[in-house]
Amino acid sequence: MAYDAIVIGAGHNGLVTAAYLAKAGRKVLVLERRERVGGILDTIEIADGFRAPGIVHTVGRLRSSVVRDLGLVKHGLETVDPAVRLFAPQPDGPALTLWADASRTAGELRERSVADAEAYPEFDRRIRSLASFLSYVHAITPPDVKDPSMADAMNGLKIGNAFRRLGKRPGREATRALPMAIADYVAETFETDAVRGAIASRAVQYTAMGPWSAGTTTVLLADSAGNDGGAPGQSTMARGGPGALAEALAAAARSFGAEIRTGAEVAQVLTRNHRVTGVALADGSEIHARVVVTAADPKRTLTTLVDPVEIGPHLRWRATNIRTPGAVSKVNLALSGLPSFDGAEPERLAGRIVIGHSIDHLERAFDASKYGAIGEEPFLEATIPTISDPSLAPEGSHVMSIVAQWTPHALRDGDWGAERDALADLVVKTMERFAPGLSDLVVARQVITPVDLEADYGLSGGHVYHAEPGLDQFFVWRPLFGHARYRFGLPGLYLCGSGAHPGGGVTGAPGANAAREILADLKKRAPR
Amino acid sequence: MAAKRYDAVIVGGGHNGLTAAAYLARAGRSVLVLEKRHVLGGAAVTEEVHPGFRFSEMSYVVSLLRPEIIRELELPKHGLEILPLDGTITPLEDDYLWRVNDHGRTIRELRRWSKSDAEAYEEYGQLMADMARFVKPILSVVPPDPGAINPFDWMPVVGLAKTFRDLPERLQATFVQLMTMSATEFLQQWFETDPLIATMSASGIIGTFQGVRSPGTAYVLLHHYMGEIDGAFRAWGIPRGGTGGISEAIGSAAASLGAEIRTEAPVARIDVRNGRAVGVVLESGEEIRAGTVLSSVDSHLTFLKLVEESALDPEFRDEVKRYKYRGSSGKVNLALDALPELACKPGVGEWLRGAISFSPGVDYMERAYDDAKYGRFSRRPYIDCIFPTLVDPSMAPPGKHVMSCFVQYAPYHLSEGRTWTDAERDAFGETVLDTLEERFPNLRSLILHKQVLTPLDIEEMTGLTEGNIFQGELSLEQLFFNRPVPGWARYRTPIKDLWMCGSATHPGGGIMGAPGRIAALELLKEKSRKRGRAA
Repeated sequence: MAYDAIVIGAGHNGLVTAAYLAKAGRKVLVLERRERVGGILDTIEIADGFRAPGIVHTVGRLRSSVVRDLGLVKHGLETVDPAVRLFAPQPDGPALTLWADASRTAGELRERSVADAEAYPEFDRRIRSLASFLSYVHAITPPDVKDPSMADAMNGLKIGNAFRRLGKRPGREATRALPMAIADYVAETFETDAVRGAIASRAVQYTAMGPWSAGTTTVLLADSAGNDGGAPGQSTMARGGPGALAEALAAAARSFGAEIRTGAEVAQVLTRNHRVTGVALADGSEIHARVVVTAADPKRTLTTLVDPVEIGPHLRWRATNIRTPGAVSKVNLALSGLPSFDGAEPERLAGRIVIGHSIDHLERAFDASKYGAIGEEPFLEATIPTISDPSLAPEGSHVMSIVAQWTPHALRDGDWGAERDALADLVVKTMERFAPGLSDLVVARQVITPVDLEADYGLSGGHVYHAEPGLDQFFVWRPLFGHARYRFGLPGLYLCGSGAHPGGGVTGAPGANAAREILADLKKRAPR
Repeated sequence: MAAKRYDAVIVGGGHNGLTAAAYLARAGRSVLVLEKRHVLGGAAVTEEVHPGFRFSEMSYVVSLLRPEIIRELELPKHGLEILPLDGTITPLEDDYLWRVNDHGRTIRELRRWSKSDAEAYEEYGQLMADMARFVKPILSVVPPDPGAINPFDWMPVVGLAKTFRDLPERLQATFVQLMTMSATEFLQQWFETDPLIATMSASGIIGTFQGVRSPGTAYVLLHHYMGEIDGAFRAWGIPRGGTGGISEAIGSAAASLGAEIRTEAPVARIDVRNGRAVGVVLESGEEIRAGTVLSSVDSHLTFLKLVEESALDPEFRDEVKRYKYRGSSGKVNLALDALPELACKPGVGEWLRGAISFSPGVDYMERAYDDAKYGRFSRRPYIDCIFPTLVDPSMAPPGKHVMSCFVQYAPYHLSEGRTWTDAERDAFGETVLDTLEERFPNLRSLILHKQVLTPLDIEEMTGLTEGNIFQGELSLEQLFFNRPVPGWARYRTPIKDLWMCGSATHPGGGIMGAPGRIAALELLKEKSRKRGRAA
């Protein structure tokens, strides 16, 4: 057989899996439908000389083990770590800044609220300790509930120890905090809307949940797991845009001997005797391999890529019920100059700029999406990467990358074809409220709607995380109970994307975990 | 002469306090129950609010009362009789959705709406029945403390884990979904009919501060398949004489087993001496000594009101303080001159003998919740009505009727510093009547008397903190080993010989009696263990 493994999709997880497999000496082929590698790790030219992040704009959640193991720095990855993590302009009163340095943040918080200033450092520590516990969970393969293996037992011990290391009260705290609504969780510690909103924003981003939804605290902790996020979250960017990380991953994979083909769309996963044998491309050609690894989302994989007869009606029914409520849009702006947020110095604008000034603001923005509409003041997370990386725009110009939420994939009235410009106007108007004169700086803009995310990037429902990160699609049951161990639906088929544990975000963890399991299985089976 | 010293004194004569008392008395302990009101039952009371009309003022239906309690305490002998409620009708503008306990008829009705829903209903019902069989044992497990790894405490949980492991995958997956999903999203996997999904989802939010699309609300759907009356699955009913009938039956059982019960005997404080509860002091100043004090009131009242601050470590008090109550429901009870008629299904028929659910669609339910989130009662609330007099005519004079309306949402905390004044209560009552009249056009003309209870009223009548009928919000982080205080889910408290036995403890609220029973049995087990060691 030609290849040991074929990887469907060259998003970051597909590339991570391919690189690990190739590094272990396996013959690997990566097939990417688009003309560029990276999937949502994309850098797009939005106007002459202006390059902006396709979807995600920070890469700080990437596992350090992945960077090390794959030698990404050697392969050209350069990251910038602004001292500022989050800048949150307020409708009334001065903007809130959360710095990487918790004591600096606390110092500034004093003018706002002494109580919040004093609570902040301890809260940051608590988030870090709970998140570090979660990072153990993220690094392992979910156990086999039916018959736990030796490895599962060892993992169980590891996690048990990690749990005990938390101590008695934090131990209780973990069981209490994980299922909580972030609105409740932040309210227990902080009194000001500004701080509550800013921290809660990270717990709902890229989800179809509002701050009052149970389990959003888990999303916040997962966001800070295995990185330096802490309470404010990270704001690390890749020099040259997120696409540069994809390039580094591809370069690493190639250096280990993996082949990567772009413009190669997989039409079907081939099977013989209920075992995966390879893939058929849209052009009709067939490529065979011992195993096939899909970095596409699980719903798309099971409902469009495999033969329904092979997986049977029940699993197919469950697959159609994987929740993928995409609610995120992207608006990228090419700017003739740096926007002014009430005179805040550029240093404060170098991280994430969040328009999410209270729990109620976030919740109301979410409410509208429940009825298939977009709220009057959407929740925005923006970055101005050109502050730290001028190479992305002409001299003196800037790009602003804005993630807009909640903008439901399924609009009840009207369709995205008609709404895209209205959305861009709304986003600019919302941002301009805090950055007067912004619209005069706009020389070009680009809009990516949930429908584009589905059509262009192949994401079911336009969900950036492949499957909603709710408590019902978590760990042992992500994406489906009984299919969380990266072996997916059919013998010889594996899932390595964000739809698998530990889920979405630019971590590379699902890809790395999947590679570990695939290599173990390849060893077991003697090559034919 | 020295006052009598009881083996156990129980604070609160609600159904759980009385159940605990009955089980302790049954084991030969001397027991005293202290109820502050003139009637027993707490939230499960019946009172003659209007001459000749008796209202189940708060809690109004029963299905979760544990059958072992009915058997072990021989409640039928003490007058307990539960009359079945037949089905649920969801009135709409010009149509209705009507489900009855007769499966075949329900399926035929559903076919009118959606063939696929009718088919799915069979499959769904079977699945939920299978689930209920697995979940039931959880209701009688004493939760362990996740912070402390005591193998003995964990054994029952390990047992459940084994059972879980041996379940077929489809049940395992369903169980996980039930514990984590929203009621609506769970149901949407099978059903497409909006009024059906909304009405079934409604059971997931009763008494909670959640919406039908809030994660964690699916679990309660199971309760409808766990409710047992005379061992018959899924039947919901109302006790003859109202829910107070249950309390009186349990009280009479307890008394016949030797328990003393005193009403109008409000407890002022629990007497704690060097870390040990030794008795209680009544508001009258009377002191009562006891070997063990069991509190059937919520943790807020127990630890922040009845126990003096110095007796508890501040960290524990903080845990208690941040425990969430936030009552979300109100009650409107009407004395009627005659039965009202539904515009969408005129006449007086069996459809009025079950529940009438104002839950026309998922959006309607969510909008009702949205109002509450921002601190106002729902402009169009979810209402669950029954006419108890149709199954138990003794509740009103001949030909007259009682209408019992459970209303959600009515948040305890109103926005902009508003509180539940008489004006707010009236506005709330009018909103409920307006909503009812959209389906019962002639209702207002039939009203002889109306009783409107806000969460504040419920708190003032029963003592339930923030009017939460379950003694603590049933949100995921407040269940099982975090109930009623993280780390103290084992009915014990940081104070020696002070125990908890109310809805505040696992397995939580509803007229179930399980907390009272498990707490009593756990206490007896510990005492016998101690005696064993002493011997």
